[in-house]
Amino acid sequence: MIQSLLIANRGEIAVRIIRTCREMGIRTVVAHSQADTDSLPVRLADEHVCVGPAPARESYLNIRNLVTAGVLSGCDALHPGVGFLAENAGFARDVKDAGLVFVGPDPEVIDLLGDKIRAKHSAKDLGIPVIPGSSGSVNNAEEALHAADGIGYPVIVKAAAGGGGKGMRIVHGGSQLADVLAIASQEAEKAFSDGTVYLEKYLENPRHVEIQIVADRKGNVVHLGERDCTVQQNHQKLIEESPSPVVTPALRARMGEDAVRLLRGLGYTGAGTVEFLVKEGKHYFMEVNARVQVEHPVSEMVTGIDIIRQQLLAASDESLEITQDQVRLGAYALECRINARSAGRVTQFMSPGGFGVRMDTFLYAGYHVPPWYDHLVAKLIVTGQNRAEGVRRMERALSELVIEGIATNIESQKKILAHPRFRSGDYGTGFLGEILKEGAL
Amino acid sequence: MELKELYALMERFEKSGLSEIVYKKDGEEVCLKKAGPAPVYAAPVYAPPASGSSAAHPVHDALPVKHGSDTEFICAPLVGTFYRAPAPDAPPFVEKGDAVKKGKPLCILEAMKLMNEYQAEFDMEIVAILVDNGNMVEFGAPLFEVRRV
Repeated sequence: MIQSLLIANRGEIAVRIIRTCREMGIRTVVAHSQADTDSLPVRLADEHVCVGPAPARESYLNIRNLVTAGVLSGCDALHPGVGFLAENAGFARDVKDAGLVFVGPDPEVIDLLGDKIRAKHSAKDLGIPVIPGSSGSVNNAEEALHAADGIGYPVIVKAAAGGGGKGMRIVHGGSQLADVLAIASQEAEKAFSDGTVYLEKYLENPRHVEIQIVADRKGNVVHLGERDCTVQQNHQKLIEESPSPVVTPALRARMGEDAVRLLRGLGYTGAGTVEFLVKEGKHYFMEVNARVQVEHPVSEMVTGIDIIRQQLLAASDESLEITQDQVRLGAYALECRINARSAGRVTQFMSPGGFGVRMDTFLYAGYHVPPWYDHLVAKLIVTGQNRAEGVRRMERALSELVIEGIATNIESQKKILAHPRFRSGDYGTGFLGEILKEGAL
Repeated sequence: MELKELYALMERFEKSGLSEIVYKKDGEEVCLKKAGPAPVYAAPVYAPPASGSSAAHPVHDALPVKHGSDTEFICAPLVGTFYRAPAPDAPPFVEKGDAVKKGKPLCILEAMKLMNEYQAEFDMEIVAILVDNGNMVEFGAPLFEVRRV
């Protein structure tokens, strides 16, 4: 079993990991930048090591300092958290080469899943429905036109190394394709040092639904149901819920089986998410996030299973504590991401509480939110007997939440929850853009 | 060094991922630094622990940090193990009270099996050595208190 863990991350995910470690008797060492000396994870961890100055590329992305900090502080494992180096195969390799356990899948698996074309091929080979598209990369306008004619417009140009919407472009007709291809490829080259692009059928206004997986090295691969992350702005998720209003028990079973088959087939270990688009009752494989995700508490709250705990057990070569038969999907859980819209000192902070409310945050009164990192400052999660009760509870919790001194999206989240379209459960990924145009936010 | 050589060096340096370079030739020395945000660390290069002479060690300059009165602190620019001598049985590079000339080695920081030697950036007197030999240092940890001479 892991005895001592270096946490190569910050913010709420670092706090989240420390909490489970404390319950499991694992010593924690948090690696932090000079801007995070007064952060909550630094206060909560057993030990802390400064690994660099404020800019992330010199601290949270500084592989040499992070690995050295892990070795010299006597850790036997390293947790990358989310973002930063969590899906960097080179980092996972360096951690292993230094003699530490990397809490995540093997580097080869991270590499494969990081290449969207290879990942899609793997899914297709395992009989998982994929979005119709080019059979591989498209290398010139001629190939692209030919592929697009076969797929049918509109098509979307995507980067093989993609993520975060970079190198992604929607094309409605052949006349635009050559130009768009060049732009997307350049954008991908700049963002990922890899200009490889491919084509897919563009599904208009689909649902974004993902399956949470936990897997150990003994062949146990278990899914914890789905999360619906359709409410997003510029590919950034804002609200996540489980179960999804559009997933029937039959669809859930199919998606769950597909996700398990894929990650079992890849020899995946730890926590991971298989993302699908859902349109007219059908699901299409999109990609795998080879790490624990920001919205994992939603699945924890509907199943009662601590995902970080399963991740640490799997990394320690232990068995998961659950089998698929033992997973009970509870009634309903809902998460709102609270994002900072400015940096600065938090003058007042009051966390909501009461029945069915969970708050994952690193804020405290007097804390100075640094301008250097991700804007996520809190995740508010509620449970309910059903969606209607859950949404009412979230509204109650949001009304109790006080964060003063910095600007946040709390009011905007309240308006989304109150919107009749959100209440109806009937919308696609374009929903937020549409209500922004209405001026509802 | 001829101007032509200097220009070539500047051009290469500009294009490189390096933030700083010290080039020595025939007793002459050129130090180039890039302005703007602090250095970008390239992916680490792992090498077996350097054996033999310390000349084989990559040479970096430590970061001096201003201090109140007439002394300054030299702080660790990376996370690593602090060594005061080039080898376990060798005498320390410097002792408290030593007058140290610019360019003389002060210490080694070992990170990822790579020995990084740090030199004095200016003529100095060692007022205090703040870390014991063999201890871990975090980024920014003060290593030496020094006085410029």
